[in-house]
Amino acid sequence: MTALLHLTAVSLKLNFRNRMAILYGYLMPLIFLVAFWAIYRNDPVPLALHVGQFLTVTILGSACFGLPTTIVSERERGVWRRYALMPAARWVFALSILLARAVLLVTGALLQLGLAFAFGLPVPAHPADLFAAFAIASAAFLGFGMVIAMLVDNVPAVQALGQCIFLPMLMIGGVAVRLESLPAWAQHLSAFFPGRYAVEAMQRAATGAGGMRFDFLALLLIAVGGAMAATAMFRWDKALRPKRGWLLLAVGMWLAVGVMAEIQGRVTISTAQDRRDVGTAADYVAKPRTSPAPKTSWQDVSDADIDGVAFDRLPPDEGIISPVSRSDEVPDPAIQPTLDKIRDALPGWAPGNVTDPVQRARNLLAIAAAPDILQMEQVERFVPRLVFARLQTVIPPRDLPKILYWIAMHPDDGDDAAIHQLAAFGLPDISGSAKPVRGRVMLYAFKLLGRLSGHLPPR
Amino acid sequence: MTAAIAVQGLSHRYGGVQAVDGIDFQVAAGEIFGLLGPNGAGKTTTLESILGLIVPDEGRIEIAGIDARTNSRAARERTGAVLQATGLQDKITPREALDLFAAFYPAPLKTQDLLTRFGLVEKADAAFETLSGGQKQRLALALAFVGNPQVLVLDEPTTGLDPQIRREVQDHIRALKDDGRAILLATHDMDEAARLCDRVAIIAGGRIAATGAPRQLMTEHGGTLDDVILRLARP
Repeated sequence: MTALLHLTAVSLKLNFRNRMAILYGYLMPLIFLVAFWAIYRNDPVPLALHVGQFLTVTILGSACFGLPTTIVSERERGVWRRYALMPAARWVFALSILLARAVLLVTGALLQLGLAFAFGLPVPAHPADLFAAFAIASAAFLGFGMVIAMLVDNVPAVQALGQCIFLPMLMIGGVAVRLESLPAWAQHLSAFFPGRYAVEAMQRAATGAGGMRFDFLALLLIAVGGAMAATAMFRWDKALRPKRGWLLLAVGMWLAVGVMAEIQGRVTISTAQDRRDVGTAADYVAKPRTSPAPKTSWQDVSDADIDGVAFDRLPPDEGIISPVSRSDEVPDPAIQPTLDKIRDALPGWAPGNVTDPVQRARNLLAIAAAPDILQMEQVERFVPRLVFARLQTVIPPRDLPKILYWIAMHPDDGDDAAIHQLAAFGLPDISGSAKPVRGRVMLYAFKLLGRLSGHLPPR
Repeated sequence: MTAAIAVQGLSHRYGGVQAVDGIDFQVAAGEIFGLLGPNGAGKTTTLESILGLIVPDEGRIEIAGIDARTNSRAARERTGAVLQATGLQDKITPREALDLFAAFYPAPLKTQDLLTRFGLVEKADAAFETLSGGQKQRLALALAFVGNPQVLVLDEPTTGLDPQIRREVQDHIRALKDDGRAILLATHDMDEAARLCDRVAIIAGGRIAATGAPRQLMTEHGGTLDDVILRLARP
């Protein structure tokens, strides 16, 4: 035990004398945190929906680069060959380096959280769960960090292999890029990467959403697979060949977890057309057989006009353009106060009570459009439902479909001053052209119209 | 009296190559025993087998009467080693390295005593990367000695050092012998072998070709130790 603690202390001391280790261990996580804050600066609660992401990036960086670089560079210079002569079991050396790495990870994460609190992140809902999720995610990632260390012979190879894991995990593994932004194939693929489960587990613990059991199980299995493979592949000296066959166990556990997630239907996929241009109203209307007489008022809109809308061409509700939550979907507790504030402010919002019913509806729809334009994660999906409910309250049922059709077909009409009066809802002002907002107003008008007319399922 | 090191019937193959083939020797306490021979003769395989870095195919190895193959931890507690291709982290200091290594042994020597003994007091708190070649080698000897071992295994401990530093390190080795340690020394430096070793074994083709005191071998075979090796190692 004395040797283990002594070795751990020396590992830590040496780490703090190494500028590059400090850069990787502490500065990079802070840079990632600032990047997340900058990208999602319009979120209602700063960083609350990205705790899992920025903590996972920290662990991932440590596993892909920090840990294996330390081990491989020491092994290259013969330190581990020297350790092999000591009267101690090899697990003492492996455990000491993992313990030192765990200390670095925890302190790095605390530093990140400290800065995140300064940016306005609320205290995590379940700190103990968050710590447990962080610990088990660290075990899973450091396990394959050890596998990398045992597999490669030199530091450049660590960098190469580390990048091969780090970058895909960031881009298509659900760590840095939102899963909803990814095409379906990438979302399926993300189920085979541990990053997805680490993000989910820590995020749910941070905001109190619960339901982390599968994430914990997945990370535990990956940790066990990595630990067993790394133990079997352990080598003191680069002259010894690693038993590469054990790599199959580590990778096999990733595959097994992905298959389990797919079988259990845990991979919710949004369709792949999210990034298409919003287009014009004409894009969403089936071609009429005969040219109808032009309408001069919303009151002239007929059922036949509404039946002529091609609702199937609208962007999917699960996508990133004009998303709408399912009726049974529960928002993350982190955004519930924001939604409550919007709902409570709706009745008293002056633009939502103007005399002209078309302008009234147009103004209300702008409240749904703004979070979508601002890419306010989750909020953008739930606000449309609040707006739809309000529209059904303030506009007579017989008029609402006609008005929605009219707005959708005339997105450039009316006044857009209301989009600069969203502070009452805690939403940021939208700068620049109003055209994107008008486009989203059009889409949401079509979507509510589709529900009211029975052309779209209620979901 | 039990030999400090006893090797019997040691054999090991690397694939199709018989690196060591039935080697036997013993080293007594207070004796320096040299392993001499050309590159690839089997010296390093023999040393690494004794130290437990490789598991030999056959043979018995005892350190101070302890079976090193079945009780390797106890054997290692009694063995210190200086190997080629070993090193330390750039930023560690001699004091930290000695303290760290001491934590692994049941009755280690005091760090300050070792720093004094191996002439490292002035550099005790300097980073390893700033030490000279001689200082690094003296530190390697001090680290080998930290567990107060009965046996020291030294693989070319003076290779690459300038003559003055080499002589310094040799003086330390002789002092360790005078202290009653058994020392197994592999070297390519025949002057060093002649000056330090009480007995040497000349290894060729994985077997011991001759054993004896350096002067005795030179007398029996004629010429210098180099000549003896060249003659005995000839295929």
